[in-house]
Amino acid sequence: MSKDTTHISFGNIHKHFGKRAVLNGVSMELRGGECSLLTGPNGSGKTTLLLICAGLERPDQAELDLGMGMLSWRRSRRSLLDKTVYLHQQPYMFDGSVIDNLGYGLPKNMSRKERQQHIDRGLEWADLAPIADAHAKSLSGGEKQRVALARAWLRNPAVLLLDEPTANMDQVSRQRSYELIQQLKSEGIALLIASHDPAHFISEADHCLALKYGIIHKQQPSDWSVDNIMPLHPNQKVIYGIS
Amino acid sequence: MDNLFTATIEAVALLIRGDPELWDIIAVSFEVSVMALLIATPPALLTAFVLAYVQFPGRRMMISIFSTLLAVPAVVVGLTFYLLLSRQGPLGEFKLLFTQSAMIIGQIALCFPILVSMGHSTLQAADKRAWETARTLGAKSLRALMTVMYEVRFGLLAAVLASFGRIIAEVGASMMLGGNILHYTRNIPTAIALETSKGEFIQGIALGLVLITLAFVLNIMLHHVQGRGRVSS
Repeated sequence: MSKDTTHISFGNIHKHFGKRAVLNGVSMELRGGECSLLTGPNGSGKTTLLLICAGLERPDQAELDLGMGMLSWRRSRRSLLDKTVYLHQQPYMFDGSVIDNLGYGLPKNMSRKERQQHIDRGLEWADLAPIADAHAKSLSGGEKQRVALARAWLRNPAVLLLDEPTANMDQVSRQRSYELIQQLKSEGIALLIASHDPAHFISEADHCLALKYGIIHKQQPSDWSVDNIMPLHPNQKVIYGIS
Repeated sequence: MDNLFTATIEAVALLIRGDPELWDIIAVSFEVSVMALLIATPPALLTAFVLAYVQFPGRRMMISIFSTLLAVPAVVVGLTFYLLLSRQGPLGEFKLLFTQSAMIIGQIALCFPILVSMGHSTLQAADKRAWETARTLGAKSLRALMTVMYEVRFGLLAAVLASFGRIIAEVGASMMLGGNILHYTRNIPTAIALETSKGEFIQGIALGLVLITLAFVLNIMLHHVQGRGRVSS
């Protein structure tokens, strides 16, 4: 499956934590070169949904179609792990340099020269050359996000799942990350961006998916507004900061 | 007081002179304990990882059992394996009693719970994002496991050092399972017990000095690696 023709359907995703139903039959589709924006208040299950889509969290029940018909999540998990990359809200940096981190996801059977070429491409892509030898754990939040995006880009994923990708960033770092995300989309990668403050990504979004009470409500990005997103509980007020 | 001082001076001289019998005892100690640690560490850390990362029925019970085993005295471990390895015991046919192998088995039993408990605490405190990031970047389970262990290596190394400190100094299991045979199963703690019972304090003090020095070195190393773990995590 080339990235441009990526078409993954998720269906009937259920997930409980104890007695609390976090996802209650969620269904959605992701297509290459399209950006889907997943909105919802804190605690609505956005991260859980992303982790399930990445093959990292086991759902109670889920089905997905990776082009071979609907299969259970369990049977498709290996393919999910191969095709997707998940980025945490605060990306995790392995103990080592930026170069070490960029090289982590590269295939083991690559020659040393090929490996170095890929790493150099990643450094250039995210403008990381000046900090190539820096210890990754000591980087700023914005720099870590760029390393994580470059690390994901080098994996050449069909789907990229981003959890609050610009949270707690200053304006400059946010803009740099935003530009890189735009590039990823233009390269045909399917993007699913979870954000409780989606105003920054709304212009880039092809679909808006509002997660309410464990169910996805599809919206057109043009119809999106703060008022359309219901709070987690009927008596809870949700305030979205829009800059 | 003078006698103690004189005996200590003579003990140091004995060590410096390179007394063959004394250094043979030290060598047996290190051979047995290092071998026990090498055998116990991989399965113990794997067990710790499973307890920290995999949900399964009986997991909490297993954690409690390993915590309880931490408090079991060495002499009880020695007695248990003595009964198992003695000629009438279920493992008697292997004729392992009073061999270095028996001492290694006893020391494995002693250090395994320490490695599991300390390893579990370290791995449980590890950032779950390390595992998730490794997996999402294409690492298979084994590589992701090694990645997580590398990320918390200082904590795991502290567990290994603490285990080594426990088994190199234990006397109960070594005495019962090794039999304190000179040039074969006599190690530092059993030799100290024997020499003291004979009133031969000089060799006992010399070996005690080795243990104290070792404890000091291990503590410095522990302090060092735990400090490094805090900085880099």
